[in-house]
Amino acid sequence: MRASLFITCYNDTLFPETGRAVVHLLERLGVALEFNPGQTCCGQMHANTGFRAEAFSQAKRFVHLYQNAEAVVIPSTSCVAMIRDQYHGLFQELGNDALRQQFETLLPRVYELSEFLIDRLGVDDVGAYFPHRVTYHASCHGLRGLHVGDRPFRLLSKVRGLELIPLENLDRCCGFGGTFSIKNAEVSSAMLSDKLHDVLSTQAEYCTALDNSCLMHLGGALHREFAATRTLHLAQILANTQTDPAEGAA
Amino acid sequence: MTPVDLDPRTAPPFPQAALPILRNTQLRKNVAHATDVILAKRARLVAEKTDWQQLRTAAAAIKDDVLGHLDQYLVEFEERCTAAGGHVHWASDAAEARRIVVDILRAEKATEVIKIKTMTSAEIQLNPALEAAGIKAVETDLAELILQLGDDEPSHIVAPALHVNRSQVREIFARRMGLAELTDDPEALTAAARAYLRKKFLSVDAAICGANFLVAETGAVTIVESEGNGRMCLTLPRTLIALSGIEKVVPTFRDLEVMLQVLARSATGERMNPYSSLWTGVTAGDGPQNFHVVLLDNGRSPILAHHTERQTLRCIRCAACQNTCPVYRQTGGHAYGSVYGGPIGAILTPQLMHMDHAQTLPFASSLCAACYEVCPVKINIPEVLIELRAQVVDRERKQAARAFDLMYIGMRVANSIFASAWRFRLAQRLGRIALRPFTRKDGWIHALPSLGSRWTMTRDLRGFPDQTFREWWASRPKEKS
Amino acid sequence: MSDARQQILSRIRHATSGPAAVDSDVPRNYIRRGSLDETARLSLMVERLQEYDADVVECTLGDLPACIADRLQSSGKQTFVAPPGLPAEWLARGFDWKIDHALTHAEIEACDGVVTACFAGVADSGTIVLHHSASEGRRILTLLPDWHLCVVRRSQIVETLPEYFARCLQPPSLATYISGPSATADIEMTRIKGVHGPRFLHVILVHDEPATEV
Repeated sequence: MRASLFITCYNDTLFPETGRAVVHLLERLGVALEFNPGQTCCGQMHANTGFRAEAFSQAKRFVHLYQNAEAVVIPSTSCVAMIRDQYHGLFQELGNDALRQQFETLLPRVYELSEFLIDRLGVDDVGAYFPHRVTYHASCHGLRGLHVGDRPFRLLSKVRGLELIPLENLDRCCGFGGTFSIKNAEVSSAMLSDKLHDVLSTQAEYCTALDNSCLMHLGGALHREFAATRTLHLAQILANTQTDPAEGAA
Repeated sequence: MTPVDLDPRTAPPFPQAALPILRNTQLRKNVAHATDVILAKRARLVAEKTDWQQLRTAAAAIKDDVLGHLDQYLVEFEERCTAAGGHVHWASDAAEARRIVVDILRAEKATEVIKIKTMTSAEIQLNPALEAAGIKAVETDLAELILQLGDDEPSHIVAPALHVNRSQVREIFARRMGLAELTDDPEALTAAARAYLRKKFLSVDAAICGANFLVAETGAVTIVESEGNGRMCLTLPRTLIALSGIEKVVPTFRDLEVMLQVLARSATGERMNPYSSLWTGVTAGDGPQNFHVVLLDNGRSPILAHHTERQTLRCIRCAACQNTCPVYRQTGGHAYGSVYGGPIGAILTPQLMHMDHAQTLPFASSLCAACYEVCPVKINIPEVLIELRAQVVDRERKQAARAFDLMYIGMRVANSIFASAWRFRLAQRLGRIALRPFTRKDGWIHALPSLGSRWTMTRDLRGFPDQTFREWWASRPKEKS
Repeated sequence: MSDARQQILSRIRHATSGPAAVDSDVPRNYIRRGSLDETARLSLMVERLQEYDADVVECTLGDLPACIADRLQSSGKQTFVAPPGLPAEWLARGFDWKIDHALTHAEIEACDGVVTACFAGVADSGTIVLHHSASEGRRILTLLPDWHLCVVRRSQIVETLPEYFARCLQPPSLATYISGPSATADIEMTRIKGVHGPRFLHVILVHDEPATEV
């Protein structure tokens, strides 16, 4: 099984340890991973901020880069949602038939990480070991965009030693919303404040999610407050084994 | 109380309007409590309604059919309503609608008019026009009465006074109704309102209402409510004026079997509103004998032309989107600077303004899609928000001033960086270097200048790691890559 | 203002004729018939009525006049308004009856209560449907008095809202759907009942012959 990793612009730059965890995890599961060095960004930031022409050019680039990939794995629900929800419209408006066709044939081969594990590899037990109290935040794009459903819970339930504490209001937005966190920083912070309260109430050691964007926002506030809870992408929990601890877990 | 500006032409931008409200803990508590109550009731009823998704699909399809043939259905409604003794008027804009209403009331020599809550009348700013014409408007919904007597503005489509708590209501009633002994017990407050309003119902001979649905097939108008003031206004006076947006029409009477089921559950978490009323034109001996419908355009028809935006007009004003919105939860409705706030307001208001005003509203969202999930007519609000953002940017980027706007500069630079892998790698390295001075020993950034300060005002940011993912990948032993 | 009419219609036509136009068939795969048997349906109707504090009693067709008299007696009220088409045997002795032959608002306001029939009941939501026929009365009759006694026949009760709509061979020109007491939740979301409209709803569920299926 071959797959091409689209690491995402922000994971590449800010959360390389999540990328490393994805690599260790998938290789452990027998996936031959490729990394196309031409990759940059899926275009989400531009699309959601109203810069449609720019988003189109990035989307076009993505489709060209991966047209021959057997599968594309992306450890970010918001980027996959961008591709699934918005690429079609962008190509319809600004592209041509050939590009749209290319995209249509690529789309079924694009997977978010938990989808890749459960649907494509058919596994929920990845041999992970993570003896900690963990709570899970349902990133909006994963929840409502991709309908990941119980996939993350199935994966978490098979992690040995992990105690999952349910998060109150787990489906309520954390307030990141991309450039919303800057343009509406005060409202974003008010939303974050409520989310923090829910996270800290669990007294979990780690708050995990499928998206480092939410975790960057949450984690940034937890760190500011000297809180005892840290954020960690799900990939890093799944990559952790008894013999081979992943980074960021200590 | 700080005067609230709900005129999109003059209201402050959303981020600015939100600020004082975020510091109003009473309001935030009221909004959270009110929306939680309705949400919980809604959730329970939706769970028990095993055909909920099918109803939503049918409701959306009914509205799409209406919007696709709106001229036919409006003409049909006009014919049937007129044949039943009603008078149908058409108003292109707010000014025209106000003029029509005032003219009708003047012809009746009305000095007072009782009103049922209708967003449309607030949209066209009717009350000041009535006042200027020497006609006193009396709001009869308890919430609207509270707002009117308190010189306040609505903050929610269905529960407009949810930002006001009981002791604030007590103070308003005691002062304006002259009831010094009044307690803040909601029962007592409601009883005071009942007595005050009953006198009005039995004496005022003209009423203004809105419409939840106009039935094209029969010319009927439908209104749903909880308190009974609607029934009072619809039944007792001689003259009744129904003000309705043109999009409120449904094709047939039987279509109400879908619309009524989704409306009440979404709006108030009930299977049916306590009272729903349907009437057709004029019925001899029963209710108003002088009945008028004012069909209002006011920026709606142009929205029909746009493929993505057209769905905005499916809205049946249930406010489920407001109740579920995590942004609205923090700010209430006043921050949106429009009578339509929350998610629907963020897409409807700028469009009614032909995108000339309220341009910050499409950005007043984290795109979480909770609204889309609950919308009974399946309006994909995030999709419309993104479309409107593109329209705002397309306009703004032509302005000379944007050459100095950090956001615009940043976006253009970012695009150029994303256009090539080597530029991206270079930018990563430069970014790492640029942020080093701000990065503390623990590897975290506590304060950033300029736009970055909007992040660091409440959040730390972990510094750029020494090695990017792609640098690590490139450094792996060859057989692994 | 036919100018506005023309302008609006032509704007609409212009906007709906282009590629944005979407043809949509309405899928009607929502529930259109109930699944409860008659006993369960009636039981549900009673339950829903009681949920919104309507007082419900049941009786046979033969016992109906006596049951009405009993309800009026226990109300402690004296003056009742009746729609002109109310069956004569429902006008129990010992009370002041005002038959609505063009009564004034003041005359109706002076009555303590009203007795009516209805068009249908919808069990799912506990809704009583009035089409304001001669036995149901003008709309004002069930609005001004504080106390309303409504006679609902078993054969009039359907389970779901679509089944009520199916029963309307013609759409009604007037209809009132009562599904709760008049209530407000406008003060801190605290539900207070009895704002305007009758605060007291009494229902007599009459066991008549079951209706033939529509």
